[in-house]
Amino acid sequence: MTSTVPYIGQAMLRREDDYLLRGQGHFIDDLPTPMGTLHLGFVLSPHAHARIVAIDTSPALALDGVVTVLTGDDLAKHVKPIVAEIEFPGYHPHGRDVIARDKVRFVGEAVAVVVTRSPYLAQDAIELVEVEYDPLPAAAKLEGANAPDAPQVHDTIPNNTIFQGDFTTPDFEAAFSGATHVIRERFRSGRVGGVPLEPRGCLALPEHGDNLVFYSSTQVPHLARTALARFMDHPESRIRVIVPEVGGGFGTKAQIYPEEFTVAALALHFRQPVKWIQDRREELLTDIHARDHIYDMEIAFDDQGIVQALRGDITTNAGAYSTLPFGCTLETTGGARMVVGPYRITNYAYQARALATHTAPSGAYRGVAQPTCFMAIEGLMDRIARWLELDPAEVRLRNMVPTAELPWVNVVGVRYDTGSFVESLQRAMELIDYKGFRQSQPANRLVNGKYRGIGIASFTEVSGTGSPGWRARGLVRLPGFDSGLVTVEPTGMVTAYVSHAHGGQGHYTTFAQVVADALGTNFEDVTIIEGDTATTPYGTNTFASRSAVTGGGALIRAATKVQDKMRRIAAHILEAADEDIVIEAGRAHVAGVPQHGLSFMEIAETAYSMNNYTLPEGEEFGLEENDYYDPPLVTMANAAHIVQLSVDAEDGRVEIEDYAVVHDCGRLINPMIVDGQIHGGAAQGIGEALMEEFIYDDEGQLQNATLLDYLLPTAEDVPLFKVEHIQSPSIDTVGGFKGVGEGGLIGAVPAVLNAVADALAGLDININRKPLRPNLLSNLIREARRKAV
Amino acid sequence: MSEKVEITLTVNGQKRSALAEPRMLLADFLRHELGLRGTHIGCEHGVCGACTILLDGRTARSCLHFAIAVDGAVIDTVEGMASADNLHPIQEAFHQNHALQCGYCTSGFLLTTLEFLRRNPDPDEAEIRRALTNNLCRCTGYTNIVKAVAAAAAAMRAAG
Repeated sequence: MTSTVPYIGQAMLRREDDYLLRGQGHFIDDLPTPMGTLHLGFVLSPHAHARIVAIDTSPALALDGVVTVLTGDDLAKHVKPIVAEIEFPGYHPHGRDVIARDKVRFVGEAVAVVVTRSPYLAQDAIELVEVEYDPLPAAAKLEGANAPDAPQVHDTIPNNTIFQGDFTTPDFEAAFSGATHVIRERFRSGRVGGVPLEPRGCLALPEHGDNLVFYSSTQVPHLARTALARFMDHPESRIRVIVPEVGGGFGTKAQIYPEEFTVAALALHFRQPVKWIQDRREELLTDIHARDHIYDMEIAFDDQGIVQALRGDITTNAGAYSTLPFGCTLETTGGARMVVGPYRITNYAYQARALATHTAPSGAYRGVAQPTCFMAIEGLMDRIARWLELDPAEVRLRNMVPTAELPWVNVVGVRYDTGSFVESLQRAMELIDYKGFRQSQPANRLVNGKYRGIGIASFTEVSGTGSPGWRARGLVRLPGFDSGLVTVEPTGMVTAYVSHAHGGQGHYTTFAQVVADALGTNFEDVTIIEGDTATTPYGTNTFASRSAVTGGGALIRAATKVQDKMRRIAAHILEAADEDIVIEAGRAHVAGVPQHGLSFMEIAETAYSMNNYTLPEGEEFGLEENDYYDPPLVTMANAAHIVQLSVDAEDGRVEIEDYAVVHDCGRLINPMIVDGQIHGGAAQGIGEALMEEFIYDDEGQLQNATLLDYLLPTAEDVPLFKVEHIQSPSIDTVGGFKGVGEGGLIGAVPAVLNAVADALAGLDININRKPLRPNLLSNLIREARRKAV
Repeated sequence: MSEKVEITLTVNGQKRSALAEPRMLLADFLRHELGLRGTHIGCEHGVCGACTILLDGRTARSCLHFAIAVDGAVIDTVEGMASADNLHPIQEAFHQNHALQCGYCTSGFLLTTLEFLRRNPDPDEAEIRRALTNNLCRCTGYTNIVKAVAAAAAAMRAAG
């Protein structure tokens, strides 16, 4: 790709690729481990709910190379119970000991930590720690977890109801009861997780006494640093968090986990390097899970399919503990607030609750509640279509907010500043020849032994949430802003520091495109630094489709300030007015006289007092500016996904035959990278819709804590995606960017479900749950055929 | 714990020896004893393919072999693919087609592709997909990896 301005909008190849392709990316377990490093191993509870009666560490301590074995009481001397301080009516905060004391509340919760001289020894020592448990009955399932006789997860939380909230518009009851038609449905979403290919891990290096350099495979270095300081009572200025290369995060690594506190605290305590690398079983057992949701929905509509009112009763599984920093309300309030999507729904009521259970804690997995709330609303749109014998696309188009009516403030107060709901759907229909497929589709959907169907998901995608957005959801300690620090060095080269941390998104490339354009210099001259709290300014970090909006906005603002200063210096030297100075391609010149100019190096040398020019009177030395960007409530992207697939009539296997996406994330920074985000998200959504599910039995045992049993999609499960973009630049954000990190996943889940439902429409099979595994579908098909005979 | 034994491998064309416990996995031996950390570990039970290497010319999961059991073997890892100046054509195709995001699974895909294209220099899309099912990627949705493998095959055929 040739480098021409503007760089924004170009599919620039990634700077990250060369070192990653050579195997030279330094992931957490690739960092040099100093001599004398202590290696931790966690002893995990085999019970979902039990009292810890006794822990005998002596057999483990007898093993050569085991330094010590510590329990929850030991760690409590170093780390306070961690608590997500959500301020929201109906929320019950509760603490979590980083290693369980007295009681365990899910299978995989740590009850002891072994401190050893090697990772292999840690595995030996774990086996030798003898823990006596008194098992207790478990609340292992979401259904019934708030029943009066259900086992209680926390004594302080009645009926396991960690959070409860509701909302009603003033005219809801009248609108609902006055409608001609009502459809009711329960949508059940299976529990899944991010499952990044690289498990988590951390390495803590004490230096200069009680200073700590803390490497962690995390998405949130600044939030982690603040949390470590607060819960360890250690001065924040003596902690430096560095993020190495991260092998995928997907929100999983946006939580701050008990192991991170344990590693940091023990490094400070022992004054020695301490390291812990998670294995896959631990990852599946203890990293956040998500999407264990029930949506009981009622939708009221008229003869034309126009929605009159929507009511939702939403229950989400919080797991055993609220996690840092989001607590457990993100999925609950997210689903409740986002479900109206691109539709003109003005009468709306919800009740929503998060229930504690004796299962792994839930958290922020890519898409958060949006794959499930759109599973619900998009499933309802299809049901309206079937009820009224209308085309599903037509029902959507009749209910969508048209572009001409934007900006639009939705029923829960979220502003859609720009967008393309109608246009995205129409273009996706063209891409996949929706009308052609419909015309040739037989009523029984059966073609060559397979049921063939097509499914739509039209949706909004929350991105770039600012502080008002987090406050609206009770997350008072989550900032919302991000920041950028742009420095033009004495040689004219540019270093831009940003408060983000990448896990595959290509920030070194995309942020350099943004800074080069904003500053008026060459892409090749810009270097991006991120993921290190000692060098980068504070921010909210990298999750919830934030980077382009918040990091991009902050860098543009900081770069603009630097450029203004360079303009003043250049104007002074060139004896021109500030406004007559043009800055482009790494030079400042007088407008209309390109040869009368200065290079960035000449301006920078002036700023750093390295030549014979003088600065304008009152101008400070240096060429370095910091700025912040806190976007509005949220920045709303949108998209349409359409999937065409077949269901094998005998074995129930689903094959995706065609897949079209039209996405609108406003101004595109790098279309190649945006496409990659959509491909990857959609593949995860296909996994979630068709195969992925964590299965707990009634005793709270996770039945599939290996990658042999928790199925991830392979290259044979995913099609070649057709992706196009519509660009409706945001008018509410700096730069016009909207996020794109989650849309792929959000759209794939409802689109695949609707396509399967369409394929099986001739059999009167109700598709209202996921995942749709082959055995489920083949049973449903067999049963339907038997009834039909 | 048992006594360490000396293990010798030919890795990327060079003889390398180091001491290791008999129970040490080949993946850990390559990474931590020989310092070849481009081979990554994703599951330690042979599913994800992140640790794929070539063992006597055939793809193998280095997390499923003990180092001692392959003493004397010829091993190829990602570190042996590129020269200082140039990426291997497969690596170059991954770069040009944006076939990697976080890069954690990438080494495994590169080695799988290296063996696959030796066996089948002119594959169609279905054959590429079948070959890639041995490796999991959580970032790319495979679309660009499939394109990259096809592009690499074409480039390598053109180069003879």
